[in-house]
Amino acid sequence: MASAHVTKRAKYKTTIKDPGTPGTLRMTFEKILFVPHNPKSAGKLDVEFRYIKGQKHTKEGSNKPPWLNLTNNQNGSFIFEFENYSDLQECRDFVGKVLAKGGEVSEKPTVAYPDEQLSATEMELRIKLLQEDSELQKLHKQFVLSGVLTETEFWATRKKLLDREASKKTKQRLGFKSAMISDIKPSTDGRTNKVTFNLTPEVILQIFAEKPAVHRAFLSYVPNKMSERTFWTKYFRAEYLHSTKNSIAAAAEGAEDEELAVFLKQDDILASEARKKIRRVDPTLDMEADEGDDYTHLPDHGIFREGNKEMTESQNELYKRSLSQDINRHAAVVLEGRAVDVELEDTKAVAEALAQSKQKSSNKGESGGDTSRERLDRLSRMTEIEDLQGPNTLPLAPLCIKDPRDYFDSQQANALRTSGDALGGIEQIKCGLSTQEVYGSLRESISLIKAMGLKEPIVKPEVAHQVFDALTNSISNTKYHIGKNPQESILDRLPRKTKEELLHHWTSILELLKHFWASYPITTAYLYAKVNRLKDAMSNIYPQLEEIKGSVPSELRHQVSLLVRPMHQALDAAIQHYEASMQKRSAQSGERPNGYV
Amino acid sequence: MASAPSKLYADDVSVVVVLLDTNPFFWSSSSLSFSQFLSHVLAFLNAILTLNQLNQVVVIATGYNSCDYVFDSSSDLNRSFENGRMPVMCSSLLQKLEEFLIKDEQLSKEEPEGKIKSSLFSGSLSMALCYIQRVFRSGALHPHPRILCLQGSPDGPEQYVAIMNAIFSAQRSSVPIDSCFIGSQNSAFLQQASYITGGVHHKPQNLDGLFQYLMTIFATDLHSRSFIHLPKPVGVDFRASCFCHKNTIDMGYICSVCLSIFCKHHKKCSTCGSVFGQAQTEAASASDKKRKTPET
Amino acid sequence: MPQVKIIAKNFMDMVASLPAIKLDLLYRNQFICEAILRSLPPLAKKYVLQMLYIDIPITSKSLQEWLLADGSSKHKVAIDRLIQLRVFEVIDRKKETTYKLNSTFQTNLRKHMISGGILPREPMPQSVTARLPTSEELDAYAHEQWECFLLQLISSGQAEKSTSFSSSMMRIFQRGLLRQRDKEAPRLTESGFQFLLMDTNAQLWYIIREYISNSEEQGVDQADLIAFLLELSFHTPGEAYSLDTLTDDQTTMIKDLADLGLVKLQKGRKESWFIPTKLATNLSVSLTDSSSRKQGFVVVETNFRMYAYSSSKLHCEILRLFARVEYQLPNLIVGAITKESLYNAFENGITAEQIVTFLQQNAHPRVAEKIPSVPENVTDQIRLWETDLNRVEMTPAHFYDEFPSRDVFEAASDFARMHNGLLWEDAKKMRMVVKAEIHMLMREHLRGQNK
Repeated sequence: MASAHVTKRAKYKTTIKDPGTPGTLRMTFEKILFVPHNPKSAGKLDVEFRYIKGQKHTKEGSNKPPWLNLTNNQNGSFIFEFENYSDLQECRDFVGKVLAKGGEVSEKPTVAYPDEQLSATEMELRIKLLQEDSELQKLHKQFVLSGVLTETEFWATRKKLLDREASKKTKQRLGFKSAMISDIKPSTDGRTNKVTFNLTPEVILQIFAEKPAVHRAFLSYVPNKMSERTFWTKYFRAEYLHSTKNSIAAAAEGAEDEELAVFLKQDDILASEARKKIRRVDPTLDMEADEGDDYTHLPDHGIFREGNKEMTESQNELYKRSLSQDINRHAAVVLEGRAVDVELEDTKAVAEALAQSKQKSSNKGESGGDTSRERLDRLSRMTEIEDLQGPNTLPLAPLCIKDPRDYFDSQQANALRTSGDALGGIEQIKCGLSTQEVYGSLRESISLIKAMGLKEPIVKPEVAHQVFDALTNSISNTKYHIGKNPQESILDRLPRKTKEELLHHWTSILELLKHFWASYPITTAYLYAKVNRLKDAMSNIYPQLEEIKGSVPSELRHQVSLLVRPMHQALDAAIQHYEASMQKRSAQSGERPNGYV
Repeated sequence: MASAPSKLYADDVSVVVVLLDTNPFFWSSSSLSFSQFLSHVLAFLNAILTLNQLNQVVVIATGYNSCDYVFDSSSDLNRSFENGRMPVMCSSLLQKLEEFLIKDEQLSKEEPEGKIKSSLFSGSLSMALCYIQRVFRSGALHPHPRILCLQGSPDGPEQYVAIMNAIFSAQRSSVPIDSCFIGSQNSAFLQQASYITGGVHHKPQNLDGLFQYLMTIFATDLHSRSFIHLPKPVGVDFRASCFCHKNTIDMGYICSVCLSIFCKHHKKCSTCGSVFGQAQTEAASASDKKRKTPET
Repeated sequence: MPQVKIIAKNFMDMVASLPAIKLDLLYRNQFICEAILRSLPPLAKKYVLQMLYIDIPITSKSLQEWLLADGSSKHKVAIDRLIQLRVFEVIDRKKETTYKLNSTFQTNLRKHMISGGILPREPMPQSVTARLPTSEELDAYAHEQWECFLLQLISSGQAEKSTSFSSSMMRIFQRGLLRQRDKEAPRLTESGFQFLLMDTNAQLWYIIREYISNSEEQGVDQADLIAFLLELSFHTPGEAYSLDTLTDDQTTMIKDLADLGLVKLQKGRKESWFIPTKLATNLSVSLTDSSSRKQGFVVVETNFRMYAYSSSKLHCEILRLFARVEYQLPNLIVGAITKESLYNAFENGITAEQIVTFLQQNAHPRVAEKIPSVPENVTDQIRLWETDLNRVEMTPAHFYDEFPSRDVFEAASDFARMHNGLLWEDAKKMRMVVKAEIHMLMREHLRGQNK
């Protein structure tokens, strides 16, 4: 047990405005006790926990002091101001736990183990689940609180429920900023010709994402060919050249320094990606026809960066980059979102992580070279004209798993059947004849019937009548048994209380059996103890079942005993298994009764 | 059937695909002789054809080594001579059946070692479904299809997966599988097939009155089934066969990924390849350390 | 002239209306038994099948045991039908109703199940008949023949080739369908129009029924005729059957049937034979069966234009009944539904409903897939134009006034209302109009009041 009580210094306030009485807050499972430091001052508090309905608290990081607000069932509230948030947190978790128990049975102390260090959120999740599902709550109450199962064991089988609940909370990933990197303005000190760029890992990641060519260059040059610093210097030199719009100068510099040229040229990776994207566009869309319709094909929409108007020569086309290209690329990257979750410390690591994630996504996108074929498929799909084709939908029934009770109903009848035909697998019937003989006899009967014609009369009238009567009888019998409505099960004919009890027993037996069978093979002393515990709980159910049987009116007793029988069988099987394994165990290792290795 | 009602004939027109068990090993040990069985069935088929001009009957023989279509009322024109001894359709059916048996015999290799083997039920069921799919796709209107299995041989657990797949695809295309078991022990496969697809399963008590059973229960068209009670089996044998040894089992291990069934614990799922690991023992020992503390 | 409304009556209805002795005689024929079985409702078929081999009466209770909750109405229909056709014999024993199959019917059906039906004639071998028409050719032939007959029926002048029906025979068919006033050209009557708008099977039935009832007047046994017709429906379409196998009556009949397109007659070198068409085999199929559905040919546009993809003269004539035909192209008839053309139709006694159902039933497959197959504005307009004609309704009535007191007036108006005869009243002036039917009652009432 983490602690059966919590003691903290706190101020008790009746209202938020109240400055509060300083004192000690002591919380146990049963009650909340507040003793002021000054014994004379009023505000001594002694509240039992079962009057407490809920709690509210201020959040860390908000500008409010750490307050815990407990509301009681008369809608009154007790506000405690703690000295710090960790105190608040501890108390809050404690209250949460107690409230969870309090929802079920307040007088029973909970059996808990110190390994259950649950976070408050998980606790809340469990409480929420219990509150939402009364059946679950019943089971929880029955087994966990009576000590048959531990809290962890109970929830271990319901991880999925918890996960589902937990997964409802969406984790938001941090995206890229929408500001463009071109906005990194160089800072000039005005006196010298030195231009300074400020680089942060964040910016680097963005550059990598938006300019795959730079990314590639970084991976190949750094640190083998040049240092990271020189790399970035070159990069910004190129950027600076771009920003001046001096394409002649850019061309000149690019010719001199091939590394620099990488940054100055059009990004070939981007270009190929763009081509791929165009291929993915609806093939019936004739993009060429649209060309020239608007001014989008004009470079930069006629707007020039930095307001510098300068005509660029066509021979320097290679070194020209349009604003719209940049904007589009940036928009795409922002929309893609951040694919890497690497701490933005080391640029190298960032670059590699990005490379990996790209690899993955491109693998997904492109599989094999049958793109042209896919394009054709798409083309035929797009050009399909519905009017010309008949509907080719076939009637389909959705696959469904029917009400499992249906299954149990029939299983129960199955178990009843005295005839062994359902039980014995394939009984081996001897047939001494050879293959030839049997085929021969089969052909013989065909030729017989060919020669003689059909047997006349096919059925004797008496036999026919017998069969019809038997069938009619069985029909009217099943009608009586099952009721007119095929959906109606035997359960519906029972009194409501009995029905509920039976269903409850079913679920609790299933729960016990689930844990029971899951603990085999017994490898630890802990499991051993658990199995013992479960067995005791199971043997307790027998008299309860008998009691149900006794309580129903006599005409329904048969039905109920039919329903109870499979429960008995399941329990019997479990107990049998238990006893058998006990015997083996004691025979094997007499000196170690626990059998624990 | 609601999704494409316009494609069905309004009333009781039906296609009945009958799967005949022609496993010679079964018939040599059955109390009902094959010729008797045939006369019951042939009269029944004739009755179905008589009921409505548009009714259609397809017979598939389920042999020991193979299965094949032996009769299709839509294509076998009544051109063969009539001897007045039996309906026209019967003679052509019998002819084909004989040919089928000869072929089936040629396929058999070794002698069965002393016990009745199952017939190739999965094969004929799949053929029936293929035929029905063709019916669905042909023409503007198609009749209500249903499958009737007349089976006597014991279940072949090795066919479990194939049969279950066929059953589920039958359910998906809403084709009921009726089954009439004429062997000594009831068949779990047939029971499940009828249960899942909403067909009727019946095991006649009195095989001399087989024709009466067929007429009373299995001649009922799907249209009338919404007004009439048909015998329901009291219980359905839901047991499955394991994928590893093809045994019918009561309790077993199930792959949590692909739901394959095994009778023993395996390290790896043979169907989907998921590694099961030693989940149980590992978890046990992992939690062991923690759990030990409260006791000590 | 009897104003019988033409009901698309089933062959089986006719059979059911035969007297009991004749019915029993009919059941001696295996094929009739089979045809009867086929015509039964599904549930009734099941009852017959399950009682086929049972000799002793079955209680109606044991049949009802099988019923689900919502099956009882179907059960009743099935049982009624079976009793009507005398397939079931009702035996009341100890206050319990029991049923038994008609024993002739039962034996014949049993025989049929076991040994199959044997037609009195076998198809002729290929060597004699050489080349037989394909089923498409046969269908086309039947269709053409039937249309030719219809065309002759409605306007004798239009038909290109006349059938061999004697004019007296033709007149019998035309009885009720056409009306001739003095020397005017005969005009279609209301039922004549209705007849044309029916589907082929229903028309065929009407003609066959007339034919049968007419032949009885000529001394041919009705049951024989029915038996032969049903038998014919079990022949395989497309096979050749020798004419020599027929009796004299049947030979004369088969010639008439050839005119209707039920069979095709062919002559070989020595022998002659007949080939049943689909029309003949459809005889034993009940009319409601959707399998008799034909391919439609009419497309109606929202602008009231109508395109009929048909080269048939008959179709053109039918369309002309309610629409203005504008062009006739080799395979297309273009027309328009106009107020005038519809008024013409209404005057002839065709109802808007009939026109609408005709358009819907014969909708071209392309438009038939759509819902509605005929544009709603067109159907609505057709109905509106019809109601236009019915704006004034005439009801013979009596006018009452000068009531002695308000009490008497109110009692009288209550009385009239009670008898559903009050058409109008003016409480202030104490006047009312009452239907003529209850005038006598009214008078009695007022007399009683006066006393």
